Amino acid sequence: MARLHSQPICVASGLLVPLISLAAPSWLSLGGVLPSWAVLWLLPWALVDGPVSGVIAGAAMGLVLDGLSVGDASQVPALMLLGWWWGRLGRRGRPIQRSLNLGLLAWIGTMLLGLSLWAQLLVQGVNAPLAQAFALHTCLAQGLMTGLMAPMIGSWQLLIWRRRTPA
Amino acid sequence: MGSSPWPQGTRSRSLKRIWPWLALLGVLGMVRWSKGAGFADGYALLTRPFWPGSAQKQWIQAAQQQDDATRLQLLEVDNARLRGLLSLDRQGGSTAISAAVISRTPEGWWQQIVLGKGVLDGIKQGDAVIGPGGLIGRVQSATPATSLVRLLTAPGSRVGVWVPRTRQHALLVGMGTARPELKFIDKDVKVRPGDLVSTSPASTLLPANLPVAVVQSLNSRAVPAPTALVQLIAPPDAIDWVQVSRR
Repeated sequence: MARLHSQPICVASGLLVPLISLAAPSWLSLGGVLPSWAVLWLLPWALVDGPVSGVIAGAAMGLVLDGLSVGDASQVPALMLLGWWWGRLGRRGRPIQRSLNLGLLAWIGTMLLGLSLWAQLLVQGVNAPLAQAFALHTCLAQGLMTGLMAPMIGSWQLLIWRRRTPA
Repeated sequence: MGSSPWPQGTRSRSLKRIWPWLALLGVLGMVRWSKGAGFADGYALLTRPFWPGSAQKQWIQAAQQQDDATRLQLLEVDNARLRGLLSLDRQGGSTAISAAVISRTPEGWWQQIVLGKGVLDGIKQGDAVIGPGGLIGRVQSATPATSLVRLLTAPGSRVGVWVPRTRQHALLVGMGTARPELKFIDKDVKVRPGDLVSTSPASTLLPANLPVAVVQSLNSRAVPAPTALVQLIAPPDAIDWVQVSRR
């Protein structure tokens, strides 16, 4: 079987991320904050397809999501970094598939993504105390939601994609 | 002393005879003095079952509303003419476009809504988006069929506003929370909780005199100028339809 990025059906699964981001199901939110759908998709993708594919997938996903979002903060740098890191983790040692590992990686990734957005807001001059409280709340809530959902969604994606790309 | 030509008994009998008529005259005088009180009230009481029904009342109310609408239209025309004389942007009340909210993210990093109408319907970047009650944001970008709206609560959102009671300008800054911050330009601020915040009457970017928010609390010790927290009149998390005011 070919690699993930050469299978159109696997690449097309990435289209679900902007669609779900737009649908924004409120029943999956915590304190009004939704999980990071990009992280949930990118984590198994990079673990299966490697660092180069992870970087490219992170950049592509970030560009699409930036286009669908208001504001000047970008997700591209953080998603590229995460794609590369998770791709390297997937190439080394035993395959990562335990629920705790997936949840922890997703939580760390979402926190990194949130911190990068927070830093960009600070650079843009949004530094009032209330804005800092909002950023902290959003970081924590999104990290928790993504970390809790990653074992459910990520393990299912890993199972399907690893079957399509046997080592 | 001479004696009266009328016997005493005859006079008292005459007084007794005319006394009721004098009393009646007195009562009628009271009616005249009170502008018919009693008579009118009695008439109202008696004729209450025959008063005009609810249908006629609705006709009168409809006529009243029509009268109000006509007056409003005339005032808007007059206002537009005066604003034209002052070279200010005209109010876009007649150029508003109704649009459905097809995606909503009122919390999180990007606080935005997506509308189901775009460039093909005449919506452009920078147009004001109005919910029931007041301004909720501005169009950030538009595709042929959709528009992306940045909410006033979004971090980094900045809109110039005006407090009509104190006639002071301020900057409404979104901070991600449900209550944006009002940054005043003057140091001497007479704003108090409960004051209405609207768009400036001289605004060229937004429709003039549009309600935006109500002042919740004031921080007069903030530097370099006082700040206030405001509550938006139109909550963006509960709006399904909006009006886009074209510039």
